[in-house]
Amino acid sequence: MTTSASGAQGHRGIAVALAILGWAAKFIAVVLVIATFAFVLVKAAPGDPAQVMAGQTGAADERMLAQIRQEYGLDKPVIVQLGTHLKRVLTLDLGFSYRQRQPVSTLILERLPATLLLTGTAFLLALFSGILLGTLAGLRAGKWSDTLLTVISLILYAMPVFWLGLMMVLLFSVQLGWLPAFGYQTIGVTMGPFARMLDVASHLVLPAVSLAAIYLAIYTRLMRASVIEVAHQDFIKTARAKGLTQSRIITGHILRNAILPVVTIAGMQASALVGGAVVVETVFAWPGLGRLTYEAVMQRDYPVLLGIFLVMSVLVIVLNLVTDAIYRLIDPRVTTRATN
Amino acid sequence: MNRREFAKLAAAAGVAGAAEIPWGITRAVGQTRGGTLNAIIQPEPPVLVTAINQQQPTLTLGGKIYEGLLRYSTDLKPMPGLAQSWTISPDARTYTFKLFPNITFHDGKPCTAEDVIFTCTKMLMETHPRARGTFQRVEKAEAPDPLTVVFTLKEPFAPFLSSFDCTTTPIQPKHIYDGTDYRNNPANARAIGTGPFKLKEWVRGSHIHLAKHEGYYRQGEPHLDEIIYRIIPDAASRSVALEKGTVQLTQWTDVEFFDVTRLKGLPHLEMTTQGYELFAPHLWVELNNRVAPMNDKRFRQAVAHAIDKTAMKNRVFFGLGKEATGPISSKTRFYDGNVKKYEYSLEKARALLDDMGLKAGPGGKRVTIKFLVVPFGEIWQRIAEFVRQSLGRVGIEVVLEGTDVAGWGQKVSNWEYEMTSNLLYQLGDPALGVSRTYVTSNIRKGVLFSNTQGYSNPEADKLWEAAAVATDDAKRQELYSQVQKIVVEDMPVVWLIEQDYPTFYDKKLKNVITSGIGVHETFGAVRFG
Amino acid sequence: MDTIRAFSRHPSGMIGLAILLVVLVLAVLAPVLYPEDPWEMVGRPFAPPLTDGFLLGSDTLGRDVAAGIIHGTRVSLTIGVTSTLAAVLIGVLIGAMAGYWGGRVDDFLMRVTELFQTIPGFILAILLVATLGPSLVNVIVAISVVSWPPLARLTRAEFLRLRGREFVQAAACQGETPLQVVLRHILPNAISPIIVTGSLTIASAILIESALSFMGLGDPNAMSWGFMVGAARTVIRQAWWMSVFPGIAILLTVLAINLLGEGLNDTLNPRNARSGRH
Repeated sequence: MTTSASGAQGHRGIAVALAILGWAAKFIAVVLVIATFAFVLVKAAPGDPAQVMAGQTGAADERMLAQIRQEYGLDKPVIVQLGTHLKRVLTLDLGFSYRQRQPVSTLILERLPATLLLTGTAFLLALFSGILLGTLAGLRAGKWSDTLLTVISLILYAMPVFWLGLMMVLLFSVQLGWLPAFGYQTIGVTMGPFARMLDVASHLVLPAVSLAAIYLAIYTRLMRASVIEVAHQDFIKTARAKGLTQSRIITGHILRNAILPVVTIAGMQASALVGGAVVVETVFAWPGLGRLTYEAVMQRDYPVLLGIFLVMSVLVIVLNLVTDAIYRLIDPRVTTRATN
Repeated sequence: MNRREFAKLAAAAGVAGAAEIPWGITRAVGQTRGGTLNAIIQPEPPVLVTAINQQQPTLTLGGKIYEGLLRYSTDLKPMPGLAQSWTISPDARTYTFKLFPNITFHDGKPCTAEDVIFTCTKMLMETHPRARGTFQRVEKAEAPDPLTVVFTLKEPFAPFLSSFDCTTTPIQPKHIYDGTDYRNNPANARAIGTGPFKLKEWVRGSHIHLAKHEGYYRQGEPHLDEIIYRIIPDAASRSVALEKGTVQLTQWTDVEFFDVTRLKGLPHLEMTTQGYELFAPHLWVELNNRVAPMNDKRFRQAVAHAIDKTAMKNRVFFGLGKEATGPISSKTRFYDGNVKKYEYSLEKARALLDDMGLKAGPGGKRVTIKFLVVPFGEIWQRIAEFVRQSLGRVGIEVVLEGTDVAGWGQKVSNWEYEMTSNLLYQLGDPALGVSRTYVTSNIRKGVLFSNTQGYSNPEADKLWEAAAVATDDAKRQELYSQVQKIVVEDMPVVWLIEQDYPTFYDKKLKNVITSGIGVHETFGAVRFG
Repeated sequence: MDTIRAFSRHPSGMIGLAILLVVLVLAVLAPVLYPEDPWEMVGRPFAPPLTDGFLLGSDTLGRDVAAGIIHGTRVSLTIGVTSTLAAVLIGVLIGAMAGYWGGRVDDFLMRVTELFQTIPGFILAILLVATLGPSLVNVIVAISVVSWPPLARLTRAEFLRLRGREFVQAAACQGETPLQVVLRHILPNAISPIIVTGSLTIASAILIESALSFMGLGDPNAMSWGFMVGAARTVIRQAWWMSVFPGIAILLTVLAINLLGEGLNDTLNPRNARSGRH
């Protein structure tokens, strides 16, 4: 999205509008391509959803299968089904779940807050702690604390997310009893809104930390390298020569510049983060979209699967936009650069 | 655990959760009427109308809302349900049921013989495959007066009287459903039945709240004021809820098998495996009888000898269940244990395979068979792993094939598999739940839970058919004893375990399991203290 | 030679190499160390480590955890290496076409790559394995399908950088076919960053495989580390050893490959090395 630095207010408005339009067109194209891709994939798979639904009743006959196929339009040609599917997607109608007998959008909206809470917390946790720890390590490059941080981040980076989660359950829930092991909130206790918030927060700690760990490791290492690089550049030396205090130099100059590559990478990893949520939600029985994905895959619940796939992809695009915005906030050069 | 800590915090914060539903036992001390039962439902049912959906959770909840004409004791004898009495004509073709007076639906309208006839001859014929199997045998159904229903059968069908429990024949309101699209009737959301409890509130993903049906026809019932079914998807959380007494009842697979021993030891809990007799889930290894070498009964017998059922029961099911001996479960009527025994013996298995000419090649391998793993959870994975290791010992190499639910259903129902495992309910009578797996007439491509392995023995077919239409129990027993001997010799599938499921309930809770459908019962008589 | 000498002076790289060698030796020696099938129910279920002759304990069916870990080494390494090779092949092919031809081809291919980077990779992998069916081959296919985009981007960048160089132009002028130019002149000069990224891809492939197996989407006939942790998850309160040891195996292997990859990076691409070392 470029903004013209030279133009008058009117030109600027048109440019912005065009940029938004362009972005929206691209967005819709991506959504349609993903929708088609997922549809083809799911259709190519063996297995008849009518069989699943019939099978779950413990008894089935041809008549019931035919009824179900007709009810869900499964008796129509595939191309017609694809057309119907794409048309619906464009009108934000994600269809109806065979298995759950509910609209897909309802199912997804029910689960979305939990996933947003988890991925959002993990993302921010990883980003801020990574920047903090990376800065510490970078400023103390070569000292023992730097070495320790480097070793820890290397180990975190090599850890399977699900295993880290389980080990934390083992330590903090089973052994120490500090934090709840599973779920989203305590069941069986009546509590007010504030207490409920605390309760959810306590359930959030372990999953969020597990999900954040690997990214925390990445950002720490990146930030460390970046800080070391920036600290040796000329403008820092100039600032020092001007007699600025060490803390002013760190916050005003080093951080501001060193953060940029970290933010860029963070944006690029949004899709990995969202994918990682599936595993974490499985480990911690977190009632989000990730678990819904898994259930839908196992039950061959096409509409739910297609819906989640779309929503997750949109989530990634949005996260990319957010990092883009953060980048702009931090880096004043970005607008002028765009006009080149 | 920290949960207590947070409960304290909640209290300290002084915020009352008025909107929340009470947990635990709320009844005052010494009171035997009233109170709230907290139970678990897993997974969340898609709908509560049991006439439309017959998944397990739907049936558990629907049992409180809908009733059948009869109930069945744990040894599967009929008892009064909506019908207070019944008579069978000497030619065994006419069944007359007398309903209790003053039965009302939850919307206040009376429930009469017309509703029964509508349910059995119209609605269930459309929506309930299992009931359809029974009621297609009805020639005519009449209501000489509002409290009398007379069914006349085309020919005698002995298990007819076994088909009136609330899971097979839930009586539906004619005034709501007649002439409508049953599956899409908006009243499905209200779930209107005659049961002692009615739907009060359903918060998706959280709980289903049932409240007392004030106009219930049985005096003094129900004892409880309400039942709240909590949806708790995570197994560990379910165990915790039971342990802490926040729920007072779990059933089926709510509690994982490995947790049973630990929970059984808790002083406030009672555990029983009774109340599943009507279902009597029977687990077996299914071998496609069309495929060599499984088309040879010696091979199937060898498989039976090679699997140590007791070890499987102990390792996979943590001791729950009973070794199966044949097609009919010992919990079902007409079981006969006096059949050929297939004890665990690798020598016998090897001898049978040698006899067939399946000689061991290099590395001791005789043949490779693909085993389609049932995708319904970890326990099925363990069963498959157990079978693979067992058969490997006698030179049958088993390769596991993973699949999803739809893929499994498709491959098994279209006979595109070699070996898999399967679990079927026996439904109270061999003619309802057992013969369907073995008779030639039920080899139907594309239909799951039919005779998918393709076993066919004309002699057995005749006996199954004769036993279904015979009306004298002694005669039926004789026929079923004969057919069990034949089928056990032929070994069309390799029976493993008569599965038991643990029902846990709080010791203060009385009359929980009163019939062969256990937790699916109405719970009108369930009470605290 | 210089490279090898440089690498041998790279401490963390050498540590990685050493761990990896141990893992490789274990994989090779698996049939000797544990001749019994790792699926065999050899003893008492739920036996803690160092009891009943189990070094690392037994699982819920009485299978030897140590045997499972040793045999699992083969599965993890096979899947890691094979799927990475496939991903490198796809990535280099697409990246090379995009970088060499540029223009519309580049535009189109980069759109496709971007699309694959937008789709959450792990969810796509789940979808692929679930629809194709869980088997070794399908797991490899799924992992390579989600792993190639970074390799394609890298290759493209290298090709863009090298395309305009004089020696490439010269080769083209002398009448070499595009294929010859690519294979003889561009690819050899782009190979070292590809090797480094490829080695790191092995590590992530092993992680993806373990996560798929953990969720029950692995090959049911392959004893893999992720499967072991997944099967032990529900009994973690009763039996910690069933999930702890296989996890350590994954951790060490992935760590070793990462260390090795960084060592290679520092020695092969000194200009790219993000060095904190002075």
